[in-house]
Amino acid sequence: MTDNWTVLVGVKQVPDEDDVSIDPDTGTLNRAEAAAILNPPDKNALEAALRLKDEVGARVIAVTMGPPTATPVLELAVALGCDDGALISDYAFAGSDTWPTSLTLARAGEYFDADVFICGEETTDSSTGQVPPGIAAHLDWAQLTYVEELEPRPEDDQLAAVRDVEGGWERVVADLPVVVAVGYGENQPRPSGLHRKIYAENEFEPIELDAEELGIDADEVGLDASPTQVGGMDTASPVEREQELLDSVDDLAATLHKQEVV
Amino acid sequence: MPEVDVSEYSDVWVFIEEHAGEVAPVSWELLSEAQSLMENKDEDEELVALCIGENLDDVAEEALARGADRALVADDPVFEPYRADPYGKQFRHLVAERKPDVVLIGGTSTGRDFAGRVAVPTHAGLTADCTELGIDDEGHLEAGRPAFGGNVIATIKCENHRPQMATIRPGVFEATEPAEADGDVDHVEVVVTEDETVTEVETREVGETVDITDADRIVAVGGGIEGDLGPAEMLADALDAELAASRKAVDSGWVGHDRQVGQTGKSVRPELYVAVGISGAVQHLEGMNDSEVVVAINNDPNAPMFDHADYGIVGDLFEVCEELAEQIGNPEALQEVIA
Ligand SMILES: Cc1cc2nc3c(=O)[nH]c(=O)nc-3n(C[C@H](O)[C@H](O)[C@H](O)COP(=O)(O)OP(=O)(O)OC[C@H]3O[C@@H](n4cnc5c(N)ncnc54)[C@H](O)[C@@H]3O)c2cc1C
Ligand SMILES: Nc1ncnc2c1ncn2[C@@H]1O[C@H](COP(=O)(O)O)[C@@H](O)[C@H]1O
Repeated sequence: MTDNWTVLVGVKQVPDEDDVSIDPDTGTLNRAEAAAILNPPDKNALEAALRLKDEVGARVIAVTMGPPTATPVLELAVALGCDDGALISDYAFAGSDTWPTSLTLARAGEYFDADVFICGEETTDSSTGQVPPGIAAHLDWAQLTYVEELEPRPEDDQLAAVRDVEGGWERVVADLPVVVAVGYGENQPRPSGLHRKIYAENEFEPIELDAEELGIDADEVGLDASPTQVGGMDTASPVEREQELLDSVDDLAATLHKQEVV
Repeated sequence: MPEVDVSEYSDVWVFIEEHAGEVAPVSWELLSEAQSLMENKDEDEELVALCIGENLDDVAEEALARGADRALVADDPVFEPYRADPYGKQFRHLVAERKPDVVLIGGTSTGRDFAGRVAVPTHAGLTADCTELGIDDEGHLEAGRPAFGGNVIATIKCENHRPQMATIRPGVFEATEPAEADGDVDHVEVVVTEDETVTEVETREVGETVDITDADRIVAVGGGIEGDLGPAEMLADALDAELAASRKAVDSGWVGHDRQVGQTGKSVRPELYVAVGISGAVQHLEGMNDSEVVVAINNDPNAPMFDHADYGIVGDLFEVCEELAEQIGNPEALQEVIA
């Protein structure tokens, strides 16, 4: 067996979508008021990484690209069992779409000399799912997306995965290094242990990295390096629904008949 | 960043997603929508079907019959089954050589895996999960996508980079029937060899897939069914409806992924959508909001699904489904309740 694997996990802080509301008067989004939480699919990414640690003794580092206020997601990751956490933060990153975001995370992959970079399926605030394949493409690494289960093969420097494909599944073996995107809900995330939690909350300080330390030029990231721009936002006219509660199945059957749907 | 001369780029490409000769229906949906886009493009631009795989003669022929002016075919065993690394390398080569202006890709697991992989090296602008496509006055692609649980449609543009790429969920657009094939097939040079690949597919188990996007009636089940499909299937039978599911029911293994409705599944717009034991999460609603009549059956009166339904019954789904199935399946009983 080679040295223990270094496993990075990409985690992102997102607004709690149950909290994001639309101001009925102005039609704008009240995003700022929403509580900030760990992107739910990233819990599955963390669990997959911690299982690799259990199975092959990996060193697991959670990384987040975001403002310093995103540190709580790293604390949570450390409380769950990650060995360390890195905050990647720089004014130069402001306005980055998925292209510079995946570039930055790719450079972090190189910086930590990662063998495996595990992500969630997608984020609930941008929901593109493009960052993991983007990281793999920047680095020219193998990629495994929509992963149900990982099967490490350290003796061959390979990682196998069962992936979800349309109408079934496939088992794919990738040569290291590799980027993984775990399917949302595919594993049962563990609770955090008490000792780790106390450590995470009281002692843990994230590794801090900026663009320069990752060897990133300011013009490679941020708004100017983002190929896509939001050209406009329109409030979608909500679909009008009757919202009629019926007292009995008889009523429902009769109503559907009247509407000529049955 | 290197400046990109966007005027050098032309044509609209549609990625024809194919597995062992079976074409994902979304590819044909996109080919049909792309024909409308062509109306706002220059006369001499072409609609190109990009076919990567093995033994693609029939696929290329069908693509022409479904409206493509040209089929670009990369035919080689290295492309079967799909893997991101060889597909990505081939695509990059074709983009560098032919400079497409727009590339449309189905929002399936494979399509998203592919799109994310290829957008980066070409520095393309990629918009995920679009529900509306258009071309603006300056010839840029306008890609509309729902944001914040469908409350907002954001229009994404990519003015300074090419190609302009978008993924579109299955079921958003309608496929047109094939007609007379009229166009050219170009076999392109395959630039990938097996020994360069970094992944290997060891096993692949794929069964028959169902296309729920054309169904006129749908009975969709959610977490509330607790693994017991019986009552919902009975109702689907009585209604002559197709069975669909929330992601919860799919992830629990009760229903196949091909029947999933929502943001990471399919978009459906049936005449009747019956949500059985589905809470009504935004990711689910995004896939069924265009249905004509929506019925919700749920034992929690506060389930958000009721706000997005025309008619609701608060009650135990096992009882309600069975009773409703009996009523509908039995013309005499139905006559009685109508009277
Ligand atoms: C990135 C991402 C993508 C997603 N994509 C999708 C997607 O494409 N499609 C999708 O559907 N979801 C998607 N989800 C998941 C979504 O957020 C919800 O978790 C999911 O839709 C919940 O499914 P459900 O409502 O069936 O299950 P639950 O949330 O478990 O709800 C079950 C419902 O059944 C009711 N019930 C229970 N027992 C009974 C009974 N005996 N009789 C009547 N009613 C009963 C309950 O009151 C409840 O409302 C996605 C989530 C994320 C983060
Ligand atoms: N800013 C970020 N910092 C760390 N990881 C991220 C970030 N953005 C995206 N990711 C990872 O990439 C996955 C997919 O995100 P997205 O492509 O934005 O939908 C997430 O689940 C994370 O694991």
